Amino acid sequence: MAGPPVDPPPAALAPGERCTAEEALAALREVLDPEYPVSIVDLGLIRGVAVQGDTVRVRITFTSMGCPCVDLIQDDITARLRRLPGVRQVDLEVVWEPWSRADITAEGSRRLRRLGVV
Amino acid sequence: MAPVTEEALRARLDRGELVEGPEYATSAYVESLQRTLIVSADTELISAPAYLRAAQDAPSINSYISAIGIIQDELGHAHIAYRMLRDLGVDTDALIYERDPAQFKHPFAFDVPLESWTELVVANAFYDRAGFVLLGDIYRHTTYGPWKRALAKVDREENFHLRHGEKWMHTLAAAPATRAELQRAVDWMFLLTVEWFGLPDDLKRHKEQIGYGLKGCTNDELRQQWLSTAVPLCQALGLEVPARYDPSARRWVITCPFPARFDAAQKRWRLEEGATTWDEVVGRWRQRGPANAELVAEIQRGYRQLQQLQA
Repeated sequence: MAGPPVDPPPAALAPGERCTAEEALAALREVLDPEYPVSIVDLGLIRGVAVQGDTVRVRITFTSMGCPCVDLIQDDITARLRRLPGVRQVDLEVVWEPWSRADITAEGSRRLRRLGVV
Repeated sequence: MAPVTEEALRARLDRGELVEGPEYATSAYVESLQRTLIVSADTELISAPAYLRAAQDAPSINSYISAIGIIQDELGHAHIAYRMLRDLGVDTDALIYERDPAQFKHPFAFDVPLESWTELVVANAFYDRAGFVLLGDIYRHTTYGPWKRALAKVDREENFHLRHGEKWMHTLAAAPATRAELQRAVDWMFLLTVEWFGLPDDLKRHKEQIGYGLKGCTNDELRQQWLSTAVPLCQALGLEVPARYDPSARRWVITCPFPARFDAAQKRWRLEEGATTWDEVVGRWRQRGPANAELVAEIQRGYRQLQQLQA
């Protein structure tokens, strides 16, 4: 699976001063589902990442509208992205695009299988 | 099939083989397992109506869904434990729906009603942490195979409950008004969770729980594990708790009179009266607290209504 789309960095930004969308996505791989040690990227929740100036915009869906971890996951995303260089604001857009098991990456499936989940 | 002798059971346990059903164990092992499972099952079950009552105070739809998700998990954990009891020959319908409320084996802490979102999240951070410590020990050490496998899922979910409690304690600690309410909840709930781990080791009965490898650590060891994470959490948030680490003794110590008398109606420790005895505490546990009958009635109501309809 290719992973969620990431925008190219704005040309005006000097490398190292501001994070790129790829770096933001890499950081999101460290944000784990609150119950299972699987990243939200490998679960297929992230639907897009873009960096505009000091703002990281993230498009995200959830496994269900009744997911009890919605707030916790959003707080974890914001906290992690704010630790990136030059990031002052994190804009999360919950898109509610339908999620299914097919959205789980090969790595996510491997980890979940080891836990006896998928 | 010939009954298993104590020697054969011990030999199996010494070989590191798990017990996969009552037919592989002695009646003494099964009785000890049932006693341990009933405490776990009752605790998970009673937490559901206790949390549901406080969840009505949730500050948003998302936070209400989080609380309901936790309650759903707790009912699932209770179901797992009662299911294993049924497999061990226990009449679980009678156990759940026909037992007198005072005979339930959950900790006294759940008999004190949770009445606000603040108290609910402190329960997640304190009570679910106690459950995580106790069940984590059983997961790592138990010699009963079906329970060991089931607890892999339970431990994951308890971890979410803990994080939910910690996250909200951080949020509530950030503003003076909510911080004061948070401290009030911590004040009455902290020592009740310390009590949760039961009698000190030198007064403990049922030592066969460790002898049979149903659990690995003693009450005092598990209490230390809980204190080792709960106290630093509170300290990091600037909340006062009557406990600290004693480097010379290399253990966490309680810094107020303990065990102590508790006014359940006022949710206040009567520390000014000094320490009491564990005998008196056990008397309070047996007498049960103000929410016991109400919470058990919540659980039993539907079953009784169904019985009346079918009569």
